[in-house]
Amino acid sequence: MTGSGTGGGAGQAARGGDLRAWLVRRLLLGAGQTVAVVLLVFALTEALPGDAAVALAGDQPDPARIAAIREALHLDRPAHERLVAWAAGLLHGDLGTSLTSGRPVATYLANGVGPTVLLAALTVTLLVPLSVGLGVLAARHEGRFVDRLVSSVTLAVYAVPEFALGVLLVTVFALRLGWLPPTAVGFGDDLLAHPAALVLPVLVLLSRPVCSLVRLVRAGMIDALASPYAAQARRYGIAGARVRYAHALPNALAPAAQQLARTIDWLLCGVIVVEALFVIPGLGTVLINAVAERDVPVIQGLAVVFGLTAVVLNLGADLVARRFAPRAGVAA
Amino acid sequence: MNGPEFLYATEAPVAEIEDLRVVMPEGARGGAGEAPGARALVDGVSLRLYAGRITALVGASGSGKTTTAAALLGEYPAGAHVTGTVRVPEGPVGYVPQHPAAALNPARRVDALLRDIARARVRDLPRRDRRTAVTERVLRACAEAQLTDAETLLRRYPHQLSGGQQQRVVLAQALLTGARVVIADEPTTGQDALTKRRIVDQLAAVARQGIAVLLLSHDLDVVHALADDLHIMCAGRILEAGPPRHVRTAPRHPWTRALLAPEPASYARADPPETTEPTDTAAENAPAPLLRIRSLTAHHHRTPVLRLPDLSLRPGECLAVVGRSGSGKTTLGRCVAGLHRAYDGEIRLDGETLPRSLRARSRAQLAAVQYVFQDARDAFDEHRPVLDQVARTAVRLRAVPTADALAEAADTLAALGLPVALVRRNPPQLSGGELQRAALARALLAHPRVLVCDEITSGLDTLTRRSLLTHLTGLLRTRPELSLVLITHDRDTAALADRTAVLDNGRLAEHGPTARLLEAPAHPTTAALLRPPESWVAEAPA
Amino acid sequence: MRFPVRARPGRFLLGLLLVAGPLLIALLGPLVAGEPGPRAASFTLGGGHGAGADFVGRDVWRQVLLGGRTVVLTALSATALAYAVALPLGLTGALTHRRWLEDLLMRPLDVLLAIPSLLLILLVAAVFSPGTVGLALLVALVNIPDAARIVRATAAEAAARPAVEALRMQGESWWRMAVGYVGRSALRTLAADAGTRLTGVLYLVATAAFLGVGVAPDAADWAVMVDRNRTGLFVQPWAVVLPAVLIVALTMGGNLLLDAALTSRGRRPTPLRPLPRPRKEHPA
Repeated sequence: MTGSGTGGGAGQAARGGDLRAWLVRRLLLGAGQTVAVVLLVFALTEALPGDAAVALAGDQPDPARIAAIREALHLDRPAHERLVAWAAGLLHGDLGTSLTSGRPVATYLANGVGPTVLLAALTVTLLVPLSVGLGVLAARHEGRFVDRLVSSVTLAVYAVPEFALGVLLVTVFALRLGWLPPTAVGFGDDLLAHPAALVLPVLVLLSRPVCSLVRLVRAGMIDALASPYAAQARRYGIAGARVRYAHALPNALAPAAQQLARTIDWLLCGVIVVEALFVIPGLGTVLINAVAERDVPVIQGLAVVFGLTAVVLNLGADLVARRFAPRAGVAA
Repeated sequence: MNGPEFLYATEAPVAEIEDLRVVMPEGARGGAGEAPGARALVDGVSLRLYAGRITALVGASGSGKTTTAAALLGEYPAGAHVTGTVRVPEGPVGYVPQHPAAALNPARRVDALLRDIARARVRDLPRRDRRTAVTERVLRACAEAQLTDAETLLRRYPHQLSGGQQQRVVLAQALLTGARVVIADEPTTGQDALTKRRIVDQLAAVARQGIAVLLLSHDLDVVHALADDLHIMCAGRILEAGPPRHVRTAPRHPWTRALLAPEPASYARADPPETTEPTDTAAENAPAPLLRIRSLTAHHHRTPVLRLPDLSLRPGECLAVVGRSGSGKTTLGRCVAGLHRAYDGEIRLDGETLPRSLRARSRAQLAAVQYVFQDARDAFDEHRPVLDQVARTAVRLRAVPTADALAEAADTLAALGLPVALVRRNPPQLSGGELQRAALARALLAHPRVLVCDEITSGLDTLTRRSLLTHLTGLLRTRPELSLVLITHDRDTAALADRTAVLDNGRLAEHGPTARLLEAPAHPTTAALLRPPESWVAEAPA
Repeated sequence: MRFPVRARPGRFLLGLLLVAGPLLIALLGPLVAGEPGPRAASFTLGGGHGAGADFVGRDVWRQVLLGGRTVVLTALSATALAYAVALPLGLTGALTHRRWLEDLLMRPLDVLLAIPSLLLILLVAAVFSPGTVGLALLVALVNIPDAARIVRATAAEAAARPAVEALRMQGESWWRMAVGYVGRSALRTLAADAGTRLTGVLYLVATAAFLGVGVAPDAADWAVMVDRNRTGLFVQPWAVVLPAVLIVALTMGGNLLLDAALTSRGRRPTPLRPLPRPRKEHPA
């Protein structure tokens, strides 16, 4: 039996409890994910086949290097001790030292964080207004040329890998037209001073999230504008713009806000690819280099940073989605 | 409302529909001409609404009453070809839809929903006065819509309100627009008697403010209680119109006659079992109870929703379980059927405890207790023919070979008035009433000893409901060994039963022979639920 | 009232045109590629090679003919694999009435969902250096949590309908309920999801290959070609542009085709729309 909603204060209190219970569950999930990230990252090095030190020494398996690796990773100690030590180090911000250079992992992070944060911040700043604007524009002209154009382009572009799109854009805008630099090589860390070098990376980074969000906003807007409540508002003489932006838009944003979580995954992937493609010395480049050199402590440190960023941003996105859709039970 | 001061001839109508035709062209959308296969949703309807009067438009679903009302709002189905005149007063026409939740924006607080409308009406005031004027109008509309505790409710989101509160908010919106015409679309469908009465009061109050009300309904009790003018609609045409008394006493059209015919004197079976004049609780009587419920406490998410010390059902007996929505009556039925597992206490069949869950019940136990769902359409697989689905009961529960099961299913369905050609189709091609009968057949094929029917008549229109009740009566006659549990909030359905148990807020309020409860109810809930609807007319404040 | 939504013939045709080229090259290319010819100097244009030579002097056109198969086959098998695991997992999660079993099956997946998929792939790749098969397994693995969640949600919606309770009342078997009713009801949603998942997997496979995961550094693979020949973009753009265009066309076309196929089969009820009133007068 579906209990018809209780009207009184008791019902209100129960719903307040629901929200609190949801929040607790969501935070617990976030904590679980954090632990999972840390454990997974640690377990992967444990899973190295055979003698880890020999495996990591790779191309130059001289005994001195193997001994150095064994020393750096404390491979002589039992696994659980190493896990505790490593996790304790994480809490203090001590991420270990690189196998290849012997420098602390934290310095790698400090060097790479600037360009990456700049790229991500620029992208997110442009992402939301651009997606909402285009989505609303398409929904307002549903079925007409503008809508068909926006819908087709977003549909087509949103599955295209960034590297392929990026390379083609470079070919056209840097090679043929010569308008923009092909890579960020030679601009150092101070990318802000060379905005031209940022145009293509940000454009490429935006391509997938914008397309997916535009489609969701558009569909949500069309549904909301066709809903009985929008019809009722129009019937009762509420101005068109107000129906669109005050009544329909908040409802249209709910699914988009939920998609934000997925978008974060894409952005983190995209950052890695775009940095590799445009040779930007950010965290993605550091990660790719470390993977190539099998520099385990650096990989671990970066993976923890990326993983925790994803966990935190996911949590935030869920909170935002919950705000826009007070009714829907956002997964937790 | 029934006052003589409103007279037809002298008063000018507030709104008027003149010879309206709404035709859907066959196939292609938006075609201009009336294609040969065109279908008229509304076919030459004329209607007048007067200030302070309630005009009822009565008809089965699909009769065109919603399309007619939508015309007053200036809305037509996409692609329809429309002719005729629609004259409405300046300003919006109020609309209270059947499902008020859909008309309230889920992302906005009630306060914002009402203020938006009020703001549009205070534009001529000086800017600094607008705010207070809006607040004042909102509060007044809430009061007029009988929305109590407005200060608290205004801060909530629509989904935090009860269904009744949502309906009143929608009504307050309509009043805020200053509408002189309000359309109420099936406001009482699926509601229990108490809620219905409250809605009747509300609409009567709206009319008293001098607003013309158009009431769309297939609920004759409500129509009789409210309408000043009655229009009977069928297949897009108005069959009959006039004051309800006239239409009622001298119906001209056979369809109207069938619709308005008094309920058959009694659906109850000719020879009720020996216990018509029983002692109150069944414990000490001669035949051992077939089904016995003892100290049952059912939970929903750990909240107790139903407490029942002792209730039993004798072989061949028909028990009605009556209560408002949320009283726990469906939970009771689902506990018995094994669909609701979260309960303490025990349910015994023939002295043997029934496992709580369906999964733990043996085939014989499954067959012995069957359940008919409230919404038959949801309870069928839409991809398989109805006949096959009905026959599966006999195959699975009684190990009957498929061919024999199909034959038995066809016979049972035919006895319920469903020809084989019809039941060979898939469920979407059957009407709600037909599917409900098929669902009954599906349960009967188990040869059950206890049959639980959960609100199987709610949501059906008058004629369909009546035909289903007739079939139930027939069932009671032809299968004297069958014990029936009828879960309902409908007086006519409850009247079928030998005994009635009244649930209120999860507790047994009253329990005894139906005849006694109908005549001399002891508990106020019983009185409210089982009181004959005629008394509403007198009660609706004049 | 229900009207069939107009199918999108334009989008369908465009999608088909875009996808046909790369798909044909990917599947039939290796059959017509022939034997490798003599190597030219790195990044030379022309010189007996229609599209020039790549970074180690191989014929670009031949590499293009050979390089699509891995991308397409890896993506297809990874999608199939992801569903092979996600389907039973999600269905069991949706249909079991044992809360602990559902939690046991689904909660770990929730935890995995938060980790960015490419990060997971890179992490594993750093340790194991997987080949093509390993890459397919990895991509399938990162898709399982999301796919299982969608299967579970779709199936749970169907399983919560009274129709399933009615089947239980009839004593129907688990298989008949799970496959015959729930599976069938969920089929359309899952088909749509599988389609979008395929394009997502294609994206991941290509991107991973571009970053050097699961492929040899000189492999005949469109994504690897883009990566390795980038250094010569200014001298020999064809070695980069050709494979990039093929990947773009494949993913774009796939998505357009999929959308057209899904919308022409799906129908949406048309809501009541305001129309100009036929003749409306206001009483004086």
